[in-house]
Amino acid sequence: MSQDQDRIAQAEYADLAAAMERAAVDLGLTEEPSGFVAALEDGAAGQEAAS
Amino acid sequence: MTDWTLVTLAEAIRRGQTSPVEATEACLGRIRRLDPKLRAFITIDAEGALRAAKELEREATAGQWRGPLHGVPLAFKDLFHVRGLPTSCGTRTAEYFVSPHDSTAVARLVAAGGITLGKLNMTELAMGPFGDNAHHGHVQNPWRAGHVAGGSSSGSGAAVAGGLALGALGSDTGGSIRLPAACCGIVGLKPTYGRVSRAGVMPLSWSNDHIGPMTRTVRDAALMLGIIAGRDPRDATSSRRPVPDYAAGLEAGVSGLRVGVPENFFFQGLDPEIEAGVRAALRVLEGLGARVAELRLPDPQVMNDVCNVIARSEGAAAHVRLARERPEEIQPVVRGRLELGFRVPAHDYIQALRLRARLTRHFVTEVFAAADVLVAPVIPEPAPPLTHATDGSVGELTTRQARFARLTRSFNGLGLPALSVPGGFSRAGLPLALQIVGRPFDEATVLRVGYAHEQAAGWPARRPTLG
Repeated sequence: MSQDQDRIAQAEYADLAAAMERAAVDLGLTEEPSGFVAALEDGAAGQEAAS
Repeated sequence: MTDWTLVTLAEAIRRGQTSPVEATEACLGRIRRLDPKLRAFITIDAEGALRAAKELEREATAGQWRGPLHGVPLAFKDLFHVRGLPTSCGTRTAEYFVSPHDSTAVARLVAAGGITLGKLNMTELAMGPFGDNAHHGHVQNPWRAGHVAGGSSSGSGAAVAGGLALGALGSDTGGSIRLPAACCGIVGLKPTYGRVSRAGVMPLSWSNDHIGPMTRTVRDAALMLGIIAGRDPRDATSSRRPVPDYAAGLEAGVSGLRVGVPENFFFQGLDPEIEAGVRAALRVLEGLGARVAELRLPDPQVMNDVCNVIARSEGAAAHVRLARERPEEIQPVVRGRLELGFRVPAHDYIQALRLRARLTRHFVTEVFAAADVLVAPVIPEPAPPLTHATDGSVGELTTRQARFARLTRSFNGLGLPALSVPGGFSRAGLPLALQIVGRPFDEATVLRVGYAHEQAAGWPARRPTLG
């Protein structure tokens, strides 16, 4: 990777890392990655129950 | 015949008005004539397609029908493994991706009677929203040469819009089905995460990859989705939920349906013609009885950032050997995207996955309490010139890429079904489009809204002039 690309990647990642830190500031320990699929299944099931 | 839709061709074959061989020869003739300019295909399997067509014709003559696609010519993005054909994933290496099995989605379409014309061009490693490819040729927009077809499923968009295939499969990790569908004036559906098996498809980001149909009409997309959707033991993330008959509910209308329009993010910094097209589509839906109302969404940029961290990390893991052993083979801007993935610490990757869970739960609960579907733009501007994708420093190209995919990416993170449908044309004759987003696994409603708009707008009759 050229120096230019390296600098761009560093800057881009610094921005992403800062965004992650801001967003995760109040993330509780009970929140786990598998919650994503559960959110989709629960969202669909909730709608079916309501209709 | 190549102007027909997938559904009308299948019906004509059933009625004996045309045959699988005639349909396949018509497509192959068009490919021979137009693809040297369009660059939609990486591999054309004329021999295999004709062999399959003859077999299907024999079966039809004997009254044997494999399924609803009997004799319909299709093509697949070159990251779907198809036994007997190479899978380059848009790289310089013909056999970059190999699998012991046909991809499940392709196998299901072939079992339903579909014919494989070949493998379609794409952005290298599916990393980029414009559809340019220095190795296999830049895919041209069928509506205007010299403009991008959108990516990464660029060949899929151009082939369907140009009448080279009746339908195609694409993959969507940050917009790669919806962006080319919007740029090429066709229909593209990213289903719910888990709705369609990803087995036998090159991974870019296991957590964000979605497989879906790209077609001329919403009815065609509904038919293809019904065939490819459903549980697959070879993809642990595929859902066990039953697959509804998506075509059955298309004509139910939108009267009383609550259509949410984002008041933040999605309409900021848009090309005026894009905004006008979406607003016009909303008036059409309102005229059909939908209840259209603005609503404020949880900031989509947060989910865009989360998706970026996840996709870059997983992309780097998926392609580490290529990036480390043969980096000189990769286009600079794609290499830059891979390199970023190597910089993401495990801690940030896991935080992103955890954030995604929270953001998705919050979005589904809050937004769909107020609306049944969302309608938003897909692309921030009509398909730009190809130089927009190829000329400039890596930094400039990366910035343009991020901007062009900013309206689609968050729905990959949220895993929600999102449909791109045509929404008129710009003054320069380039397609406009809108994006319809629904509840998890509610593709049926998303398709119903798209169909209602399509029928009212009367778009499908218009075709690009390609000679």
